[in-house]
Amino acid sequence: METRIRLLLLSIAVAACSGCASMHWPWHHPKSDAASASASTEDVDAAPPSVIEPQVERRKIKVPKIRAKNVELGAYYGELSIQDFGAQPVAGLRFDYHISEDLFAEVTYGRAKGGRTSFEELSGRVQLLSDAERRFTYYNLSLGYNFLPGEVFVGRNLAMTSALYMIGGIGNVTFAGSHNFAVNFGAGFRVLPTDWLALHIDVQDLVFKSNDIGVYQLKNNLQATIGATVFF
Amino acid sequence: MLALWAVSLVSTPARAARDLLQLFVSQPYLELHTGPGRGYPVTQVVARGESVDVLFRRTDWFKVRTERGVEGWASARELTLTTMADGVQFHVNEGDRAGFASHRWESGVFAGAYAGATLIAAYSALSVTDNLKIEVGVSQFTGNVSDGYLADIGLAHVIMPEWRFSPLVDIGTGFLRVQPKATLVKPVDRNDEIGYVGIGARYYLTRRFFVRGDFRKYVVFTKTNANEVNEEWRLGFAFFY
Repeated sequence: METRIRLLLLSIAVAACSGCASMHWPWHHPKSDAASASASTEDVDAAPPSVIEPQVERRKIKVPKIRAKNVELGAYYGELSIQDFGAQPVAGLRFDYHISEDLFAEVTYGRAKGGRTSFEELSGRVQLLSDAERRFTYYNLSLGYNFLPGEVFVGRNLAMTSALYMIGGIGNVTFAGSHNFAVNFGAGFRVLPTDWLALHIDVQDLVFKSNDIGVYQLKNNLQATIGATVFF
Repeated sequence: MLALWAVSLVSTPARAARDLLQLFVSQPYLELHTGPGRGYPVTQVVARGESVDVLFRRTDWFKVRTERGVEGWASARELTLTTMADGVQFHVNEGDRAGFASHRWESGVFAGAYAGATLIAAYSALSVTDNLKIEVGVSQFTGNVSDGYLADIGLAHVIMPEWRFSPLVDIGTGFLRVQPKATLVKPVDRNDEIGYVGIGARYYLTRRFFVRGDFRKYVVFTKTNANEVNEEWRLGFAFFY
């Protein structure tokens, strides 16, 4: 019923408009006869104009974006046992990207400072390395696998998601004035007190070949750290 | 005035809720897990016709809130069975072969060897067309006699981007910094310009990931009379976005 009324009103409006155009208003100056004649012949050739132009404007629906929080950014602190140079405090930054519920990629950058070797301690004034050379910096590109995901319960009312993960990768260690290709592997535990915060405990071995004491040796540098990261 | 302020305070959470995507359960029920993983127990179900607000996503899991305010994790696979407010089925873009053939950006990391030294490299590429990419890369190599860095920029032409295994050729220029090991007699660092040509291939794995391998020949424009020619190969993982 409603559409019929609309159609009726619309056709009246269209008729009225075309009627108005055909009328000779006093302020309307007609074009020259030749021009109007040519225009009229063109009108005959042209396709008939459509009476009603469908102008339906689609309602735009804005779909809210879903925030993806797959990135972890944070820092860690712990102890690094630099082979021959003692166990020293280590601090670093970590960046994690969670690829799937099982896999994640990690980039870490850490630094520590090597202590004195037993030889240096016993011989007194001998210095094998300068102060700058004792700086131990490294970066790792690793892939992690959450092989034991689960939940941690604190008391009766609090449950936190967690995962025990294995991690391994490649990287570079700068120590004793030289860069060394390094392989890292280890395991860690991640627990999430909230959706955006994660606490980590990590144990890793940084292995590289070095000739800082004259002969090429495989160096094992064990590292134990605790850290915190924020999910973005 | 105070009343108005109070009303606006009350209405804020409602407005915030509308900024979240609302999904309607059209399957018999939607399972909510306690964590973002297949093993976490299902403690809630949302019945057909009810809706959930999607709070955020972590990998293939979505944290959602039901109409009753209960929060839980729903899998992407289950959420693709729900519909949006306009009746359209919810779709999760996880990357596919079409994306592999045609995308704007890609990045990756490699391991390999440059002139016999162990190499670690990273790159990013911007697609001009599906075939042609502008690539920027940085590498670090560590050898027995010297260490160094490479920074390069170049063009890569992917010959058949729509193939799962798609070969490519690349050409470019850059800088090389060589640091001889301190144990050598004359440890002088060297900075040189380089040029390279290479061939490579990409193989689509899954979702947004692919494997890429390259073989490149570098010409080092040294300050001496003879230029050096070095070879590099590398293999790594990359993803597109």
